[in-house]
Amino acid sequence: MGAQAFFLAVFGLAAIGFGVAVFRTSSMVRSALALLFSQTAVGCMFLVMQTEFLGVLQIMMMATEMSIMAIFMVMFMMDPGGLGGMDMTHQKRFSIGAGVVAAGAAIAVALLADWGAVTAQAPDAAMQTRELGHELLGRSMLIFETAGVTILTAMIAATAVAIPVQNLASKDDKEVSQ
Amino acid sequence: MTSDPTMPLVGVRQQKRPSALQKLVSRAMARNLSCLVVPGPEVALAHGLDVTAAGMRTAATPRDAGVLLIIGELSQKMDEAAAVLYAQMPRPRAVLVLGGPAPSSLPHADVSAGLSQEELAEAVGRLRRAMAEGAFAASPEDFDASVLNVRIEYVCPMHPEVVQDEPGSCPKCGMDLVAHEAGDDTGTAEAGAGHGHHHDHEHHEHHEHHEHHEHHEHHEHHEHHEHHEHHEHHEHHEHHENHGHDDEQHQDHGHEHCHDPEPQDQDHHKHHQDHEHHHGGDHEHHHDEAEGQSEHDHSGHDHSGHDHGAGGFMSMIEVTKDLPRSADGLQMDWLEVPFGPVFPGLPGGLKLTFTLDGDGVTAGQATSLVGMATEGDDFEEVEAGTFIEHLASAMPLAPVSYRLLACQAIEQAARVNDDPATTQARNSALERERIASHLGWLAQVGRQLGFTWLTHRASTLQLQVRDANRKRLVALEPALRALGTRLGRTPLLKARLKGIGVLPTESSDLRGPMARAANEGGDAWARLWQRLAEISASLDLIKGAGEPELPSLCDIGDVSGTGETTVDTPRGEARLSLKLEHGHVKSYKLDTACSHHIGLVEKLVEGRELGDALVAVGSLDLSPWEVAP
Amino acid sequence: MTVAIVLLTLFGSAWLLAVIEGWTVTGRLRPAAPLISGLAHLGRESIVPRSPDRVFFEAAPVLLLVVAVLGAAVLPLAPDLVIADLGTGALFINAALAYVLVALIMAGWGPNGAYAMIGGWRFLGQLIAYSMLIVMPITAVAMRAESLVNTAIVGSQAALWNIVYQPLGFVLFYIAAMALAFRSPFDLPTAEGELAGGVDAEYTGVRLAVLRLARLTLVVTLASATTVFYLGGWHGPLLPPWAWSLIKTLAVAVSMLLAGGYLPRIREADLMRWCWTLGIPLALLNIVIVGLLILVVP
Repeated sequence: MGAQAFFLAVFGLAAIGFGVAVFRTSSMVRSALALLFSQTAVGCMFLVMQTEFLGVLQIMMMATEMSIMAIFMVMFMMDPGGLGGMDMTHQKRFSIGAGVVAAGAAIAVALLADWGAVTAQAPDAAMQTRELGHELLGRSMLIFETAGVTILTAMIAATAVAIPVQNLASKDDKEVSQ
Repeated sequence: MTSDPTMPLVGVRQQKRPSALQKLVSRAMARNLSCLVVPGPEVALAHGLDVTAAGMRTAATPRDAGVLLIIGELSQKMDEAAAVLYAQMPRPRAVLVLGGPAPSSLPHADVSAGLSQEELAEAVGRLRRAMAEGAFAASPEDFDASVLNVRIEYVCPMHPEVVQDEPGSCPKCGMDLVAHEAGDDTGTAEAGAGHGHHHDHEHHEHHEHHEHHEHHEHHEHHEHHEHHEHHEHHEHHEHHENHGHDDEQHQDHGHEHCHDPEPQDQDHHKHHQDHEHHHGGDHEHHHDEAEGQSEHDHSGHDHSGHDHGAGGFMSMIEVTKDLPRSADGLQMDWLEVPFGPVFPGLPGGLKLTFTLDGDGVTAGQATSLVGMATEGDDFEEVEAGTFIEHLASAMPLAPVSYRLLACQAIEQAARVNDDPATTQARNSALERERIASHLGWLAQVGRQLGFTWLTHRASTLQLQVRDANRKRLVALEPALRALGTRLGRTPLLKARLKGIGVLPTESSDLRGPMARAANEGGDAWARLWQRLAEISASLDLIKGAGEPELPSLCDIGDVSGTGETTVDTPRGEARLSLKLEHGHVKSYKLDTACSHHIGLVEKLVEGRELGDALVAVGSLDLSPWEVAP
Repeated sequence: MTVAIVLLTLFGSAWLLAVIEGWTVTGRLRPAAPLISGLAHLGRESIVPRSPDRVFFEAAPVLLLVVAVLGAAVLPLAPDLVIADLGTGALFINAALAYVLVALIMAGWGPNGAYAMIGGWRFLGQLIAYSMLIVMPITAVAMRAESLVNTAIVGSQAALWNIVYQPLGFVLFYIAAMALAFRSPFDLPTAEGELAGGVDAEYTGVRLAVLRLARLTLVVTLASATTVFYLGGWHGPLLPPWAWSLIKTLAVAVSMLLAGGYLPRIREADLMRWCWTLGIPLALLNIVIVGLLILVVP
C-alpha cells in the first residue's frame, strides 16, 4: 500500500510536471510531447491503481494522438521551433478563471461524491478486461456506439469542409480575404 | 604524400596518452573502415574500382564514414565540397586519394595511390595500419578551410537594413540585434551563395525553423576555436571539440539554447521580417476594418500593435493567409534543402536544390559542379592527342564515347579516312561502354531505391563488362538478359517507377534513351525498359562486329581543317565541332545530351513528393560531367 | 534470472541479425564484425549537431531501445520464461510499440536537420498506414484465444497454429511488422537514397551504436511477437520449448531482414493507399472469418 501510494504520487507529480512543461516551452513539438508524457504518466497512475487495461490503453492511444497533434502544430504554427520566444499562453485572465473553476469543480466532485465502499481486493487484470468488455457490449453499448458514430461523422464532416474546392481554390482565397 | 604508418592521421581524435582500451578501439576502427566516395560510387565503378572488395564499406553519408575516398582530380567546386564533407565526418577520419592530387582544401592525404584495384587494396592496408597506430594523438591539428568560414553580422529583426558587425540594439526600434551568418568574403561564390540565400528568396522566406537555426550564436565561435561547417550535404553542423576534455561529448553548452523555453533566442529575424513583409499590411487592414476606421494606411508597417503576445488571441488563419499555398492547400513553412553534390542515390557532382514544403517539392533546380567547359574558343592550342585524353578523362562516366568523338572529329578535320575494321572495333567499344554505362545506371537506381540486390548485381556485371573482350561479353549475355527478366518480376518496382518523371509532351530536347523511351510512355518505367533493351541491342551489335578496341588517333601530321561529328553516347548524341591548326586543336564546341536534359529537372520535380522527385531525376541518368558548369 | 535470460536472448539474436546483415552486404560471414563495429563506434566522435533539441536528440535512441525491450518483456519464450505475463499482454505490445513513433519523431526533430525532420514526420504517415494492420490481426488472434494474455494465446495454438487458422491475419501482421520496424522496403524514415539516412543521418559514435542496436532489437521483438501470435510460440516436437521459440523468432527476423534487399523501397503514397484500401478491408474480413470459425467450429 505504501509503495502503491508512493508511485501514485510520483506519476501524479510527473503528470503535473509535464503538464506545466507544455506551457513553459515555446517549441510546438516539445509542447506536444510534454503533453504526451503527461498523459503517459496518467496512464501509469492507472497501472499503479491496478486498472491495467485502462492504463495500457491510455498509454497506447496517447502516443499516436499526441504525435499527430504535434505535426498539426508544426504545420499550422508560424514558429514551430519556438525560436521567436513566442508566448504559449493567451487570453490569460479568462484561462486563469476557467482553470480555477475547473479545478474547484474537480476537487468538489472528488470530495463530495459518494464513491461507495473501498474495494478490498481488485479483480485481476484478465477479469477486469472481461468485465469491461461485458460493460461495453451490454449496458453502455448505446452510449459508446453513439459517441463513436458522432466522432466518425465529425471527422468526415471536418475533412469535407477542409478540402478546398478543386480549381477554384485561388479564386475562393481571394474572396475570403476580402 | 604517402604517410609513414606510425604517423598520426590528419583527422585524429584528441587524447593525451592512448590507453589500452583505446588501442583496442583503434584496432577495431582499423578493421571497420567505411568510406565516403567523392565524387561518387558510380565514378569508382566506372574506373573499375570495387571498394567493397578492397575491404571498405561504402558509407552513404559523411556522418557514417571514417575515410574520405577521393577519386581522380576534383574540380574547384568539388574540392570545396570535399572540405565540407571532411569536416562533417566524425573523428578519427582519414583521407585516401586515388589517382590525383590531394584536394587543396583538405590537409594532406593520409594515403595516396593510383587508380587501380590492386593499388586501392594496398592503400587500404596502409590506411588500416595508420588507423590502428595513430587514431588518437595528443595534439590534433584543427581542420579549418576558408570555405568553412563564415562572417557573422548582426541584423535587426524588424529592420533588415540595419546590419552591424557588433552585437547591440537597433538604432531605430531598440530591439536586440540578431546574429546572422553571412558568406565569408574570402570564401568562394559557391559558399557565399549557400550562406546568403536567405537574403535572396523573398517569396519563401518562411523557412522551417531548422533553417533559422543556422544563423546564430556566432559570437561564441570567435572565442572557441571551432570547426564550422557549412554544407551542401547536411545543413550545418559542427564539431564541438573541447580540447583537453574527455573524448566524448564535445557539445559546448553555451550553444544549445535553441529550443529552450527561456526566451534567450534572438535569431528569428527572418520570421518577424516575414510578418512584416507578408502580413503587415493585412494586419493593418484587418484591424482597420474591425475598428471601423477608414484610413487605409498600409505603408506605415506599424508592427507594434500586432505583436503575437500583445494582441490577444492569435489567429493562425490571419497570420498565414498571405503565405504561398502548396498544392494540398496547406500553408506551411518552406525549406530550401540541397541534395548533393555527394548524395547517395544521385550521381556525384550533381547538386539539386529543392524548395521543400513538407515532403513535397515546390521547386527545384539542378546544377553541375564538375562539368567541363563546352566551348573553347580562345583557349591555348593543345596537341590533338592531348585533347583526346583531356576530353576522355573529363567524362569519367563515358570516357570511350568521348574519346571516339574527339578521334572522329579530329580525323575528319585532318581528312583521314578510317578503314572499316577500325570503325567496327571502335563501335564495339562504344557499345560495350553503353552496356557498362546502363549497368552503372541500374546500380544507381538500386542505391536510390534501397534495392541492394540490384546495386550489387548491376555493379558486379558492370565491373565485368567494362573491359571484357567479345568472347567474355558473349559469355555474360545470359546474365545480362536474366537481369532484365528478374527486374520485370520484381514486385513494387513497377509501382515505384510507373508514371514517375513523365515529361511534358512538348519536350523536344530529348536525346538517346530518353527520346526513345518518350514514345513508350515517357516515364521512369519506360526508361528502365529502354535501357534494358539497349543492353540487349548492344550485345547483338557486338556479336556482329569485331573485337572492342579503344579508339586511338592515327598519326595525322601537321594538318589544318575543321571537323564536326556526332557520336551516340550512352546518354544520347553528343556533337563536337573543332578547328585544327597544324595538328593542334584551336577551338572546339561540344554539345552533349546531358546539358539539354538537366534543364528538364525543374519541370520534373515541381509539385512532386520528395521520393518521386528524386526517382524522376535519377531516371534521366544525368552525368554532371557532361554538363557545362 | 528470467530478465537476464530474456535480455541475453534478445541481444544475442540482435547480434546474429547483425552478422547476417553484414553477410548480405559484404558476402563474408564474420561473427566478430558486429562487435568490432560496436567497438569502433565507441572510438568515434559522437557529434552533436549545431543547435539541437538536446533532450530529444539524446533521448530518442535510448527510448527506441527501451521500447523494443519493453515489448519483448511480455512475450513468452517458454511457458514460464516471460518477464511479465500481463493480463493485457497483447495490448501492451501495441502500447510499447506506439512509442517507436515517438522515438522517431524525437530523433527527427532533435538534430535540427532537414533530412532527419522529413524522415521523422514520414514515419508518422507510415504509422497511419500500418497501425491498423497491427491492431486488427491481433484482435483476431485474441478472439481465438479468448484472452489478451500472451501465454494463453500461445496455448490456444497447441492444436493448430494461427498461421494456418488465420493465414490472412499472418500476412497482414507480418507486412505491418516490417513497416513498424522500418526495415527495407518500408525504410521511409531512414531512406538512404532519398534522405541520406533520414533520422539516422545525424547520429554518430556511441549514439549511433545505441540506435543500431535498438533497430535490430526492434526487429527481434517483432519477430518474437509474430512467433507468439501466429507460429505457435514454444510449441514443437523434440526440442525444448525455449529452443522452438528462439528458432522461430530468428527465422522470422532473418526473413524480415533479407526480404528487403530484393525489393525497391515502397512509395509513401502507395503504402498508404494499399494499407487503407486493401489492408484494412482484408483485416476486417479476417476478423469476420475468425469470428465465424469460432462460432461454427467447436
